Amino acid sequence: MTTLASGGVASGVSAPPGGLRRIGSARWRRRNLTFDKISFFLVFLVIPVAFYIGFVVSPFVQAAYFSLTDWTGFTPAMNFIGLSNYAKLFTDSTFLQAMGNNILMAIVVPIVTLGLAMFFATLVTVGGSTRGNIKGLRNSSFYRVISFFPYVIPAIVIGLIWSQIYDPSAGLLNGILTRLGLEQFTSFAWLGDPRTARWAVMFVIIWGLVGFYMVLFIAAIKGVPAEVFEAARIDGAGRFRTAVSITIPLIRENVQTAFIYIGILALDAFVYMAALEPGGGPDNTTLVMAQQLFTTAFARGQFGYACAMGVVLAVITLAYAGLVFAVNRIFGGKSEVGE
Amino acid sequence: MGIYAKPLGRRDFLRGSLAAAALAATGSLAACATSGTGSSTSSSSAPAGQVSDTNPFGVQSGSTVDAVIFKGGYGIDYAEFAGKQVEAKQQGVTVKVSPTTKVAQTLQPRFVAGNPPDVIDNSGAGLIGVNTIRDQLAELNDVIEAKNYEGTVIKDTLYQGVTEPGTFDGKFIVLNYALSVFAIWYSASLFEQNGWTVPKTYDEMLSLGEEAKGKGKYLLGWGKEAATYYQTMAIGSAIKEGGDEVRLALDNLKPGCWSLPPIQDVFNGLKKIIDAGYMKPGGSGTVFTAAQAQWSDAEEFILYPSGSWIENEMKDQTKSGFKMTGAPEPTVTSNSKLPWEALHSAAGEGYIVPSQGKNVAGGKEFLRAMLSKDAAVNFAKTKLASTIVKGTVPADGFGSTALQSQIKLLEAAGSNIFSWTVLNPADLYGMNTDQLVVWNSFLSGDSDVAKLTKGLQDITDKVAKDDSIKKVQVS
Repeated sequence: MTTLASGGVASGVSAPPGGLRRIGSARWRRRNLTFDKISFFLVFLVIPVAFYIGFVVSPFVQAAYFSLTDWTGFTPAMNFIGLSNYAKLFTDSTFLQAMGNNILMAIVVPIVTLGLAMFFATLVTVGGSTRGNIKGLRNSSFYRVISFFPYVIPAIVIGLIWSQIYDPSAGLLNGILTRLGLEQFTSFAWLGDPRTARWAVMFVIIWGLVGFYMVLFIAAIKGVPAEVFEAARIDGAGRFRTAVSITIPLIRENVQTAFIYIGILALDAFVYMAALEPGGGPDNTTLVMAQQLFTTAFARGQFGYACAMGVVLAVITLAYAGLVFAVNRIFGGKSEVGE
Repeated sequence: MGIYAKPLGRRDFLRGSLAAAALAATGSLAACATSGTGSSTSSSSAPAGQVSDTNPFGVQSGSTVDAVIFKGGYGIDYAEFAGKQVEAKQQGVTVKVSPTTKVAQTLQPRFVAGNPPDVIDNSGAGLIGVNTIRDQLAELNDVIEAKNYEGTVIKDTLYQGVTEPGTFDGKFIVLNYALSVFAIWYSASLFEQNGWTVPKTYDEMLSLGEEAKGKGKYLLGWGKEAATYYQTMAIGSAIKEGGDEVRLALDNLKPGCWSLPPIQDVFNGLKKIIDAGYMKPGGSGTVFTAAQAQWSDAEEFILYPSGSWIENEMKDQTKSGFKMTGAPEPTVTSNSKLPWEALHSAAGEGYIVPSQGKNVAGGKEFLRAMLSKDAAVNFAKTKLASTIVKGTVPADGFGSTALQSQIKLLEAAGSNIFSWTVLNPADLYGMNTDQLVVWNSFLSGDSDVAKLTKGLQDITDKVAKDDSIKKVQVS
C-alpha cells in the first residue's frame, strides 16, 4: 500500500511515516494543499467526475425513472405507473423476438469474427515459414492493410453497399451466382427470406469488423517476445498447437477486451440494421432491440415504454460483460484487466 | 481525502473505465433521457394584433413566425415562397422557415420544453405520431373559415373531404396540404402498344397478368419498405366493395375486422395473382425505390399501386415516353357498393399548429398564405402535384401525364371520394412497421391469406387492447 501511495501520481510528495491511515488528517491536508495539487484534482478528478455524472449517470437515472412512467415523450407531463412497462415488455412477443435475435447475434458474431481475426493475425505474425526467424506469411503487411480497409468505411456505408450487393434483381451476389449457372438464385431475396436474412446481415457485420480485430490481435502478438515462439518451435509445436497453447494464453486479456467490445456492438447493431433491414427483416428475423426501441419512442410516442426497453438492453449488455469476465476467470484468467 | 486515501490503482481505474465503456455503449438508454422538463406556461401569451379582414388571426406586427418544414420529396422552397407571401401581406412580420428531415427527433425536446415552433410540416418517415400530441395542437377551423388573400372563404376553395383525415374526435387539427390520389399506376404508352386495357377487377388483373407474362413481363412488383402499398390498395378495394362498414371496422380496430368478406375477397384475389407467379419475385429484399425503377425504367412489371407522389419520386428514373397514368383501385366484383371510379384520396404533408407556440396566430397566417392562390399554384407548378386547393392545375397538367390523370380521376369520382384515418397512409397508431413484415411474406408467397389475416388482426388487437394508447373514435 505504501509503495503504491508514494509511487503514485504526484511524485515528489512522499507519504508521511505511519502509512495511509494518517493521510486524511487535517494536518496533512493543510500542509499539502498546494496549487499544483488542487489544480491536479480539479483537472483530473472533479471535472471528469462532473462530466460523468452530468452526461452519463444522470441520463441513466432519468431513463430508469422514465421507464416507470407512461411518458409519451412530447409533453412535460407523465404519470408514475410502477413496473407495468416491464410487465408489458415481457409479454410483448415482438420485443422478445428482438431480444432473441440480439442474443443470437451476441453469440455468433463475436465467436466467428474473433476466430477469423485470430486465424489471420496468427498467419500474418507467426504463421510463416518454419525456417529461420519467427515471421508471418510472405507479403503479410499487404494483407494487413487490405484486411483493415472495411473498418475504415463507416458502418452505415457498409450497410448501404451490401444492401446493393444483396439486391435480388440487380445485385452483385445474385449476378455472380446466376452467371455460374445456379439458376435458383435468380431474384433470390437474401435479405427478404426468413431462412437467409439473419445470416446475410451477420455476414456483413463480420466482414466489416474482422480487419479491425485482426490488427488488434497482431499488435498483441507482436508484444509477445519472439523467443517464446522459438522455444515452442524447438519443442516441436506446430502452427495450430502454437496458436492454441502459446498465442491465445499470452494475449488472453486482449481477447477478453475484444469480446466485450464486439459483443456490445452485436447487442446494439442498430446502424447495420438501419441500412440493411430498416423494417426488421422478413418475419422480424433481424429485428434488434435498439430498432424496436426507436420505433416505440419516436413512431409510437411511448417514451416510457421505450426507456424500459433501454434499461433491459443495458442490463443484458452488463450481463454479457459479466459473463465474459466469468468465462475468462473460469478458464484461468488471473485478473480482470490486463496488466 | 483525495486519491491518496484509497489509492485508485490503475487497475481500479481501468476496471471503472471498462464498466463505463460498457455502459456508454448502451447509449440507446441515454437517448431516452431529457434535458430537464420545462414548464408548460408559455402558451400563446404574445400580445395579439388587431383582428381585421386582412388579418383574421390578429398577427402581431413585428412578430416572428417559426416554421419547421419537413424536407423530403417536395423540398422547402414552396414553404419559403409562402413565407414571403406572409411577409408581403402582414407588415413587419418575419417568417423563419427551417428544414428538418427527422421531425420527431428534432422537435421532441422543444415539445417537452413547452417551446414548439408555430407551424410544423409533420411528414416523412420520422413524423410525430399525431395521436401522441393531439392535445397540444390548435384547432384549425378558423383557418379554413377565414378568407384567403383573394377574398374567398378558404373552405369553399378546397377539394371535398380534405379536412376529414385531419379531424380527430371532431377536432380539425391537421391540415394535409398536398393532395394525393391513390391509384394503380401504369404506362399508357406501353398499354397502348400491347393493346392492354386497365383492369377493373381482380379477375381482370389476373388475366392481364397472363398477357403480360406472354411479353416477358410481370404484372406487379414491390419493395420491402413499401409492401404495405398493397395494404392500402386492398383496403381501398374492400371499401369500394363493402362500403363504409369496412372502413369503420378497420378505423375503430374492431375485433375480426380483417376477416370481413370484402377484405377476404380482395386478399384471395391478390393471392391468386401471387400464386400464378405474376408478382415479380425478390421484392422483400429490394429497396423500394429500386423496385419502383424496375417498373418505371426497366418496365419489368407493368402495374404499381401507389400514391400520386410516385411521379415526383421517380422523376429521374422514368423511361422517356413512359406516360405515367393512374387508374382507380380495382374492385372485387362489378356490382360493388361504390363504383369503380370511386377514388381513395388523402392529402399528405400534415401541417400542424402547436397551441403552445409563441405565435399561434402567425402559424395560422402561414397556413392561410399556403392556401391562397399564389402559393398553391406555385406548389402545383413546381412540384407537379396538386394541393388541396381546387383549380390550381391547368388541363395540360404542366405537361405531366400523371398530374393530368390525377385531376381526371378526381373529376370522374365526383363525390365518391373516400379515405380512412387509422391505417396507412395516416398510420395513426404506428402499426406500419409491424404490418410491413406480414405483407412482405404474403407478397413473396411465403404465407397465405389465413396467415396474413391473422398477422394483421394480431397487430390490430395489440393496439386495441393497449390501454396506454389513446384511441380515436371514427364515425
